[in-house]
Amino acid sequence: MKLWNKKVAGATVLTMSLLLAACSGDDEATDTGTDTGGDTGGDEGTEEQVTITYAAGVDVTGATDVLIEEFEAQNPNINVEYREMPADTGASHDQYVTMFSSQDASIDVFDADVIWPAEFAQGQYALELDRFIEADGINMDDYFPGTVASGQFNGRQYAMPKFTDAGLLYYRTDIVEEPPTTWDELITMAGELQGEAGTEFGYLMQANQYEGMVTNAIEFIASHGGQVVDENNEVVVNSPETIAGIQTMIDIVNSDFVPSNILSFQETETNNAWVGGQSVFARNWPYMQSTSADEEASEVAGNVGFATLPEGDAGSAATLGGWMTMINRYSENQEAAWEFVKFMTGPEGQTISAVEGGRAPTIEALYDEAEVQEAATLFANEQFVETLQNAVPRPVTPIYPRISDIMQVQLSQALAGDITAEEAAANMQEEMEAAMAE
Amino acid sequence: MKFQLNEKQLGYAMVAPALILVILVTLWPVAQSFYNSLFDYRLNDPSRSERFINSNVDLERYANDYFYLSRDLEALEGQAPDADDAAAAAEISQEFEAYHAELLEMDGLAEQYEEVEGMIASFTAISDRDLKYAQVDNDWAEGFKEFLGDSSQQLIDISSDAEDEAFAATAANVAGSLQLVDTAVIESNFIGFSNYQRYLTDGRMWQSMWNTLLFTVTSVFAELVLGLMIALLINRAFVGRGIVRASVLIPWAIPTAVAAMMWGFLYDGQTGIVAHYFEQFGFIDDASVLLSTGAGGMFSVIFADVWKTTPYMALLLLAGLQTIPGSLYEAAEVDGAGKWQQFWKITLPLLKSAILVALLFRTLDAFRVFDLIFVLTGGGPANSTESISIYAYITLFSQSNFGAGSVLSVIVFISVAIISTLFIKFIGSDLFAGKTGR
Repeated sequence: MKLWNKKVAGATVLTMSLLLAACSGDDEATDTGTDTGGDTGGDEGTEEQVTITYAAGVDVTGATDVLIEEFEAQNPNINVEYREMPADTGASHDQYVTMFSSQDASIDVFDADVIWPAEFAQGQYALELDRFIEADGINMDDYFPGTVASGQFNGRQYAMPKFTDAGLLYYRTDIVEEPPTTWDELITMAGELQGEAGTEFGYLMQANQYEGMVTNAIEFIASHGGQVVDENNEVVVNSPETIAGIQTMIDIVNSDFVPSNILSFQETETNNAWVGGQSVFARNWPYMQSTSADEEASEVAGNVGFATLPEGDAGSAATLGGWMTMINRYSENQEAAWEFVKFMTGPEGQTISAVEGGRAPTIEALYDEAEVQEAATLFANEQFVETLQNAVPRPVTPIYPRISDIMQVQLSQALAGDITAEEAAANMQEEMEAAMAE
Repeated sequence: MKFQLNEKQLGYAMVAPALILVILVTLWPVAQSFYNSLFDYRLNDPSRSERFINSNVDLERYANDYFYLSRDLEALEGQAPDADDAAAAAEISQEFEAYHAELLEMDGLAEQYEEVEGMIASFTAISDRDLKYAQVDNDWAEGFKEFLGDSSQQLIDISSDAEDEAFAATAANVAGSLQLVDTAVIESNFIGFSNYQRYLTDGRMWQSMWNTLLFTVTSVFAELVLGLMIALLINRAFVGRGIVRASVLIPWAIPTAVAAMMWGFLYDGQTGIVAHYFEQFGFIDDASVLLSTGAGGMFSVIFADVWKTTPYMALLLLAGLQTIPGSLYEAAEVDGAGKWQQFWKITLPLLKSAILVALLFRTLDAFRVFDLIFVLTGGGPANSTESISIYAYITLFSQSNFGAGSVLSVIVFISVAIISTLFIKFIGSDLFAGKTGR
């Protein structure tokens, strides 16, 4: 009997300890390294050291390190720890959402894709910046209006524009004299010039089922005068203008002058085919300017020009891309975090980003600075600055991931020829309205 | 009389801890998912970011909005150009204050509210759930929400009729603030089985279910046939058998995500060697169809899966083959049975249990396929390769919709349970009954 008791007791203890081990999750509040004094009266005036954590996607240019060094030199009492996030925007989005949903305070400042602020604001993940902006007298009119609007939700500013991006049309200067100005011209020229100077294709774009396809579609839709969500937050995607835009996109994707596997093209594939000299025209973000100019990796160095994207019935439109900077609402060092955000998104920080990382500033006045103009040929180009000014933001809504998913599914089916442009627009209208009403 | 257990009870008592542990470890997560699926539970929407059985007020937001709103309502009354509007504003203001007073009279709410106000004044985010949310009477919440909706509508009407522009703008602002307060009053988001109803009638769910089934049946069948062939081959004694056995395992040893990446390059329409040879041999009319058409995409993921998991199947079957005594074959040989007859009469019947285990493992694995498809096609093109797990992932993590994502997870769990039951019922009853039927 005694033996039995011992055994049961042993088994029970073992079970309990296993259970305890399984339950003792990592609930400890993450300590950001330094004691900020709190209310224990241990403050030594301005000499108090604060450490903030800054999370941003992998940066191959090294601009982030320069930014941090410069900021720490100017603010000796604030230390910035850099935490790398995945380069893929979708993957980092999902990580941030998971962290902030559990009210994790280990990150103070983070970079956000232009499509996130509304969602993060509604989810109460991000800090309102209005009181800081007012207190420091920052004039939001200095920034491109589209980038400021991307950071707003319910009339309050949740994100500061860090750098911007817009779609461009690249062309081969050794094949083309004048770039096409309308989509029809592009279709004609791409068809005629395909095969010149060793090229294989006339045009490249991003048509894979992912976020980048949505940015391409918005360009087609907006240049034909269509909209997805209007300023009153109403879904207006089922319109003749939108259908015309989608139809143009379908025509181009199904033409003979694009690669037959254009449906699996993302930015990387576009860039690889372009620097391999395989195409006459291509649509991509500004970064392709620097990859094309790289003598070692590019076969087309010196033969690349760029222009605004072709016009539809309603002019030319480029989708607004780029990144914002936001503050975690649960951050314990809001003031220090704001100082860093202010520095990074201010003229000085943006100049560093432009010079070191080749990133397009969001402050218009910076394009007149010699330092910025020398950083990349793009920045000295008036046409490019104009493109940035008129860039079309993607729908600003807290359920953007859902809206994007609906667009990806329907457009992908339309491009594959399973449904017509009219059906795609009607389905998007119906599904988006249902999603908005939930 | 000393209390004693008989032997049977003793046996049960000994295994009880283990049984309890098994039940906790296996069923607890499923129960948790099921519980989540009964709520309209969305992490990025503050009015649905928790599982509320009863009505609650999000005091943090309420206190913040109340401060502005009570001030603005008074101002509105003073600004009103005519008596009717002033009276309407006064009435809204009074009623609102009455509701506010009722709220503070509730049990212990006054102190809680004060504490929350203090934290808001010092800009501290409230992470303590018990402090942030206050449970309130359901009827009160319903009445309050109704009042907020009505009065906000009333102010919008007043605003659009008003001639005085400044007053119209203030009225519209106050209407907006009332709507904000409305979102801070949270009604129960318990929705029972309506999410199930929605997803069981959702075309995309059935499409992904069909994709999953097609993938599972095709790939498992192909793996079984190929795996059996390979197992029979490496079961024989020949020179270099060790090398062959080891090399057959290589595909299984490569992590799925890496294998998917690798196959992505092999299938690529421009540079993929596999795609190129398939085109040369005339299996496909163009190298690009593998990743940019629906049927091609489905074939691609199945082919990659077969390549990767056939070795695993072969290994399991080889283990079964090794248990068949050689004397049986010798006896059959003496009786004049040919190789073919030996295979059908001896090998297959005796391999039945090994085949069953292999099939069961692989079917469940294939049904839950995620990483291979996620990396190789991302569910595209046009959702033709979206498995149910991918759909659940998109819903859960990209759209932070935990309620709906849990529904899909529960559907996966139920499907897996059904598959296991069918297997055990129709093929393997003798295997799991603990004794052979012979």
